[in-house]
Amino acid sequence: MMARYQNIFTQVQLRGPLEAGPLLPPGSFRRLGQGSYNYWAGKLGAAQLGPIYLGRLGIASLICAFTAFEIIGLNMFASVGWDPVQFVRQLPWLALEPPGPQWGFQLFVPLAEGGWWQMAGFFMSTSLILWWVRTFARARALGMGTHIAWAFGAGILLILTLGFIRPLLMQSWAEAVPFGIFPHLDWTAAFSIRYGNLFYNPFHCLSIAFLYGSTMLFAMHGATILATGRYGSEREIEQIIDRGTAFERGALFWRWTMGFNATAESIHRWAWWFAVLTPLTGAIGILLTGTVVDNWYLWAVLHGYAPSYPSTGVVDPASLPGAPQ
Amino acid sequence: MTRIITPLAAGAALLLLGGCELGAKQSTQTGFRGAGLEQIVDVSEIKEAAEIPAAPYPLPPDGGPTAGQSYQNIKVLSGLSKERFDHLMAEMNQWVAPPAQGCSYCHNPENMASDEKYTKIVARRMLQMTQTVNSRWASHVKQTGVTCYTCHRGNPVPEYKWAIAEGTPTPGTILRNKHGQNTPNQNVGYASLPYDPFATYLAGRSQIRVASSSAFPSSKHIVSIKDAEKSYGLMMHVSGALGVNCTYCHNSQSFRAWNLSSAQRGTAYYGIRMVRNINEDYITSLQSVFPAYRKGPRGDPYKVNCTTCHQGVSKPLGGVSMIAEAPVLRGVAPAETPAGAAAVPAAFAKPAAMTGRK
Amino acid sequence: MALLSFERKYRVRGGTLIGGDLFDFWVGPFYVGFFGVTTAICASLGTALIFYAASLGDTWNPWLISIAPPDISYGLGLAPLREGGFYQIITICAIGAFVSWALRQAEICRKLGIGYHVPFAFGFAIFAYVSLVVIRPWLLGAWGFGFPYGIFSHLDWVSNTGYQYLHFHYNPAHMIAVSFFFVTGGALAFHGALVLSAVNVAPGETVKSPEYEDAFFRDTIGYSIGTLGIHRLGLFLALSAGFWSAVCIIISGPLWTRGWPEWWTWWLNLPIWS
Repeated sequence: MMARYQNIFTQVQLRGPLEAGPLLPPGSFRRLGQGSYNYWAGKLGAAQLGPIYLGRLGIASLICAFTAFEIIGLNMFASVGWDPVQFVRQLPWLALEPPGPQWGFQLFVPLAEGGWWQMAGFFMSTSLILWWVRTFARARALGMGTHIAWAFGAGILLILTLGFIRPLLMQSWAEAVPFGIFPHLDWTAAFSIRYGNLFYNPFHCLSIAFLYGSTMLFAMHGATILATGRYGSEREIEQIIDRGTAFERGALFWRWTMGFNATAESIHRWAWWFAVLTPLTGAIGILLTGTVVDNWYLWAVLHGYAPSYPSTGVVDPASLPGAPQ
Repeated sequence: MTRIITPLAAGAALLLLGGCELGAKQSTQTGFRGAGLEQIVDVSEIKEAAEIPAAPYPLPPDGGPTAGQSYQNIKVLSGLSKERFDHLMAEMNQWVAPPAQGCSYCHNPENMASDEKYTKIVARRMLQMTQTVNSRWASHVKQTGVTCYTCHRGNPVPEYKWAIAEGTPTPGTILRNKHGQNTPNQNVGYASLPYDPFATYLAGRSQIRVASSSAFPSSKHIVSIKDAEKSYGLMMHVSGALGVNCTYCHNSQSFRAWNLSSAQRGTAYYGIRMVRNINEDYITSLQSVFPAYRKGPRGDPYKVNCTTCHQGVSKPLGGVSMIAEAPVLRGVAPAETPAGAAAVPAAFAKPAAMTGRK
Repeated sequence: MALLSFERKYRVRGGTLIGGDLFDFWVGPFYVGFFGVTTAICASLGTALIFYAASLGDTWNPWLISIAPPDISYGLGLAPLREGGFYQIITICAIGAFVSWALRQAEICRKLGIGYHVPFAFGFAIFAYVSLVVIRPWLLGAWGFGFPYGIFSHLDWVSNTGYQYLHFHYNPAHMIAVSFFFVTGGALAFHGALVLSAVNVAPGETVKSPEYEDAFFRDTIGYSIGTLGIHRLGLFLALSAGFWSAVCIIISGPLWTRGWPEWWTWWLNLPIWS
């Protein structure tokens, strides 16, 4: 029973001519490399690495990403006085911080006061946007739909909302997220504290629900496909246009379990929407915070969805006459 | 493969366990059931209560000639009886002065009345400060009160203190410039939060409350997230100083709401104001008195924060009151008890009182 | 009977774990089985108790209803019904219903001749729930450490329990769990989108084969994990998210009581820095 093959890794890997990929439309660059086989990649999925189509957009995007990465890394390195040991030791704590509140939303802040942050943000955003165009262009070059680009775009929208759109609306760069491992976590916590508990932001609730929902969907979908793998369930496109026993069994599993099932195509629509709505609702929640609502807990009290606990009877000392302020 | 992986995994597991507290835990509920309001501590981590020094000799009865009549140059305690004055001096000797120097740490043994040593000027001011703390700030120190020992613990300079941080040697550049944060620092519990909340909040009077009192934005409440991080840093300090977590005072459903907070938050409110008062009126005012070696890198005298007295426990010295041994330090109660001192209810002492819904 | 066109040939006898043929039947689209019966009993009893306990509270506002666990002082014992006892019975019902549901899934797998991947995966969700309401409370010595059953009240529990460790984002297992959640979301978006984009093509194009799916990912990032691999990866990512979530809460309290940022001092104090 335990030893039976459960389809969680590949037992026999095939080796033959590498796939070159369909022809690209005229005017395209050549794909880079012929590809190669990797045994360990082949254990989990396809063994073939490469080839890759870099193109102008890809190169420009990578240059921008590298520039942003270097700006961030070198700023962190400088902040420990170019000490390589302390750079590694303190790395999780280090950051490139956005301009302080005194700079408002000024377009060009002195480099040491947040200008480097602006530059890193600019290059990172440019890199993402160029990469977005690339996902769109690559799909079109292959005659495919552009669903990937729009899903990726939802993620980019969240990043831009955090780092640019909301600071613009708030007229303060200081509202933006710092680059740094622990520092961005501090920002997240401080954001919730400043705006009176983000758990009471309904769009945050939605975003979390979609995030957990996405995870649950991928577990359900992945498990269903692996469970029906012996019937060829991984040939999803084939099952979409001509349903076979693999997806019939998968569908019936869920129908018998919970009275409802998706189809080979619709499960991917569920997946796409759940995954895309996660950053989308998240971005809406971020956008509303500080611009429309300043204290989510009090907003929840106003709208009757904040649970009440027995009062401790403590009063604000500052509200008492003669109290020290 | 397994020959490499097994020891590696075992090593990693050991390393991870090494970062753990494996001992028995003790927990206290501090609010309504199921709200996650608890203090959980590892029993082996609980700070042992500091030892309370024995009195140098029994407190003599009050009465008889006063210190002012018996000695020269008595400015603060001239009305105190000579016997009690001598007793307090003996206590200060024990609580503050280095044993090797004794009285001569503050006094010129040839002329006890002389003010030539800076330590004597400081000590005089500290006596006034202690009286103020015990009278004006009874809202914070309650009837337990404080004595010199609460902070000094036998050291001429209290162990836990702060001065304005050195800052970057090259301001205006990115070299060694962390903008006062993003450094593992005990002050803020090793988070990368701004690590010097003291200058801002305990010398300065910056607004600690960052959440708005209104659901909607207003031009009257412009508070940056960076301010929220600073305030968070101060709260990390308070937590560390008292050895408690955030839910000791707050229900994080709303950090701001007072009717969700424990009575301790009220006590802390007065404590923070008390510390400001101490730093401003009793320490910074001695700026010119302190010699350079008693000052921080920026030339300001060392000041107090929550750790100075608390030293990792919610009640300094485990809540033991030493004030009966030095009654004069109670000072003179102000004509009016500060408002709000009585408004802190007993609810927290009895968590059960908070758990009944009706 | 809501039978799908192809369903009849799959509705065969057998595959049950318990009860033989006794409960081997369907109600509408639902398969019943022995564990369907136990699921129904546990779920209806639990739901009824939630409604009854709610009726004793002061609100019917669905956002505000909360069934809270007992006070810590009850330790690992039973509490009076109105002071956490309902919560305890509801928890037992919930675990009974979840486990029955997983076993019923296993029976359905047997009936359909497919692998047990779904009940195995569901087991991780059950483990995460049990971690929160059984394992951690048991390690800490009081059932009262469980989270309350209420839409917003459970968020207050999450928030306060997090702030018991001053800054929960520094919990290393929480970092790993959140990263897995985000990566799972991204991978799901890309998988869903890739399949949709192969089938819902530009006007005038024909439906694309998996070769095109592979080509898209190889062109874009240099690697395509393939049609089978993506489901292995997705399942691994999703289960890891759930697993590390469970770990991050089990260690908070039982294995670490101070602020999570302070935990990282082991890294600062490694002997390799000087």
